[in-house]
Amino acid sequence: MEIYETEEEQVAALKDWWKANGSSVISGVVIAAITIGGWNFWQSYQKDKINTASDMYEQLLQADTAGKVELVDKFASKLNTEFSSTAYDAYALLFQAKEKVKQNDLSAAQAILEQAMTATDDVEIKHVARTRLIRVLLAQKEYEQGLQMIADVDQSSLSGFAGIYEELKGDLYVAMGQIGEARTAYQLALQAGQGSPLLQFKLDDLTAADSTQG
Amino acid sequence: MLSKIREKTQGTFAWVILILICVPFALWGLQNYTEGGQESAVVIVGDKEFVQRDVNQAYAQFKQQYADMQLPEEMLKKQAIEKLIRDELLLQHVTAEKLSITDETVRKFIASLQYFQRDGRFDKKQYETLLATQGMTSAQFVNRIRKALLMEQYQKAITESSFVSQHDIDSFFKIQNQTRHIEYVTVNVQPVSDLPTSDEINAYYQQHINEYQSAEQVSVEYVELLIDDLMADIAPTEEQLKAYYEENKELYSTKERRKISHILFAKTKDTTEEQALAKAEAAQARLASEKFADLAATLSDDSLTAKNGGDLGLFEVGVMEPDFEKAAAKLALGEVSKPVKSAFGYHLITVTELVPAQTKTFSEVKNEVQQAVQRVEAETQFYQLAESLTDISFENSDNLQIVSDDLGLTIKRSGLFGRSAGEGIASEESIRNIAFSESVLQGHNSEPVELGDSRLVVLRLLEHLPSEAKPLASVQKEIIAAIQSNKAKAQARTVAKSIKAQLESGVSLSDAAKEQGLVVTEMTELKRNNGDLPWQVSQAVFKAAKPIAGKPTVLVVDSIEGDQTVVSLLSVSDGTKDDEAEQVKLAAANIARALGQADYSAVIEGIRAVTKVIVKD
Repeated sequence: MEIYETEEEQVAALKDWWKANGSSVISGVVIAAITIGGWNFWQSYQKDKINTASDMYEQLLQADTAGKVELVDKFASKLNTEFSSTAYDAYALLFQAKEKVKQNDLSAAQAILEQAMTATDDVEIKHVARTRLIRVLLAQKEYEQGLQMIADVDQSSLSGFAGIYEELKGDLYVAMGQIGEARTAYQLALQAGQGSPLLQFKLDDLTAADSTQG
Repeated sequence: MLSKIREKTQGTFAWVILILICVPFALWGLQNYTEGGQESAVVIVGDKEFVQRDVNQAYAQFKQQYADMQLPEEMLKKQAIEKLIRDELLLQHVTAEKLSITDETVRKFIASLQYFQRDGRFDKKQYETLLATQGMTSAQFVNRIRKALLMEQYQKAITESSFVSQHDIDSFFKIQNQTRHIEYVTVNVQPVSDLPTSDEINAYYQQHINEYQSAEQVSVEYVELLIDDLMADIAPTEEQLKAYYEENKELYSTKERRKISHILFAKTKDTTEEQALAKAEAAQARLASEKFADLAATLSDDSLTAKNGGDLGLFEVGVMEPDFEKAAAKLALGEVSKPVKSAFGYHLITVTELVPAQTKTFSEVKNEVQQAVQRVEAETQFYQLAESLTDISFENSDNLQIVSDDLGLTIKRSGLFGRSAGEGIASEESIRNIAFSESVLQGHNSEPVELGDSRLVVLRLLEHLPSEAKPLASVQKEIIAAIQSNKAKAQARTVAKSIKAQLESGVSLSDAAKEQGLVVTEMTELKRNNGDLPWQVSQAVFKAAKPIAGKPTVLVVDSIEGDQTVVSLLSVSDGTKDDEAEQVKLAAANIARALGQADYSAVIEGIRAVTKVIVKD
């Protein structure tokens, strides 16, 4: 480092330095200001967006409770188009699918549930959408496709839904007339827990002839 | 590792290790006794730690919710912790999913709560008062509500969006309304009166020895510290008693009892003060020949008291104006005051009853004083002795003799008693509990047990009669009855089995029944919710395998009493939908809700599987 003898020399050195580096300092400060401002703006923009989506979802819930199908549809499509980056998007699709099943428009319900599966990052909501999709396939007599959807499930993330998938498998096999497979599936579902209250009921209806009684 | 340390305990290095090991323990031990110590987590969910206080709070809330269900405490505690965990799991999940609740939604929700409403509208004051009674600030409350609403949004996304397809409804009714065609006979138990042989009795006794055990019993020896005993040994001096009497004189005194009456000459807009005074003086003159009460009735402007001769009841300081009180307090019985001025006008006052204040003399209350002094002294001794009793009985935990000698307490003995009842000192449940505690059964002195606030007991085991087999002679009758009942049941089972075997070989039920003298009942359309069959039979029928290729399914059902029902299941018919649309709708709604609940449980289970959850005992 140089040693400056007088004040004049120091000032001159500073001036030289400023001439060389001044513009980059200014642009650095400006960039920093823009970045911070932009980040803050982005944050509050996101917050506002989520809040609006949340409000809309609340209204959708109310419409659903009141049985106002068109309103549910209206809020849902708004959430699907303008707020697809929020978690509310997938929830709205679940409600839309319910309305379609109520109207017995099963293929529409199928498409919506397929969309819901890709719309969310939430593994659990994916499972909810998937199991419901299988239920719709069952109602459409698309048994093979239903079984395939179960076979394709990522086994590592299964934990809570294992019983539900097995029960669905049993339902599909019953519909296909494959009683032996259905029984096995129901028994697995029972072991896994989390089945529907009808599970035991359904299994009892399939008792094998060779099982010892009394 | 341990043996290595032990080898080196001779050298100085070992000391360093020992100190290193001991210091953290010492500090840890201390921490439990110092108030400022960090509370340790008892439940951990993800990165959230709950301390005992949180768990207690959750339990208290949970308990309140289920107060009228009388569930065992252990179970409630478990469920409260489970709920705490599930809520926290959900909360962390929705936070990660970036759900949000707006201030407006929170405000609307709070305003809709009935607790905070008055006349159907949100009342800010009501809100603040209620929160204050809960020791909560508005910010805390809003935060709680916000969390609850967040979780609700997610929960509803799963449960409220649940649906049921036409296929699901049809399948449900197929099973629910299914009918089964059956015929059956019942083989009743026939009582057996043959006496079993002594070998049989003996064998049964040996096999069921566990059912014939006498109750476990103990007797104890104990010392007890009684305030009453201590009092008897205290002999206060005359001076002490007198000092106590002087200090607590008010305990032995009664206050003066002074009943007063008055006549009021009121100052009104029609009557000036002078006129009122003149009236009062005139009245006073008349008192020479007339009664106070009569004058009060006719002259007093205080109409309420006038009826009762001006009676104001017992005189108390601080009720009337000072001048009035001063005058009233000075009067002798029957004496009438000069007119006394008050804000109302002028009063004539008299005293109708006077019992002077009285203090009992020392000699009158000497016995009472003595007892009081003895009790005060005895209580002090009691607490000191209780401390010694605790210490000595703990330090010399293998006998009561030392504590008895040191404190001059006699060792007493109880009779034998069981866990559930006893006599004398064992009639106290706390005594029985501690007598059967592990430590006492192992031969240690018990901890001191308080019985009320003037009795303290330390006990130790004297005799322990473990539960043991009752002698055969005392239970022979029961055994004979049991053997006979078993035989009767076995006979019924044999008959039922032979009928079953016949049916399976192709014999018709009516033929097989005829042989045994039994009557066949046929039910062509048995429903699940029928009330005609015992529930065990009905349940077994609907669990039985469906007949294949016309070959009936045969089953035998036990009743608790041992009666055997042999059922032949001939055919099964699928159910159809209920006729009433309302019923179908209700069933559909119920199934959809059940499916939604199952989904939600699965979701929570799934979140739990990827989150660290630790519950410490």
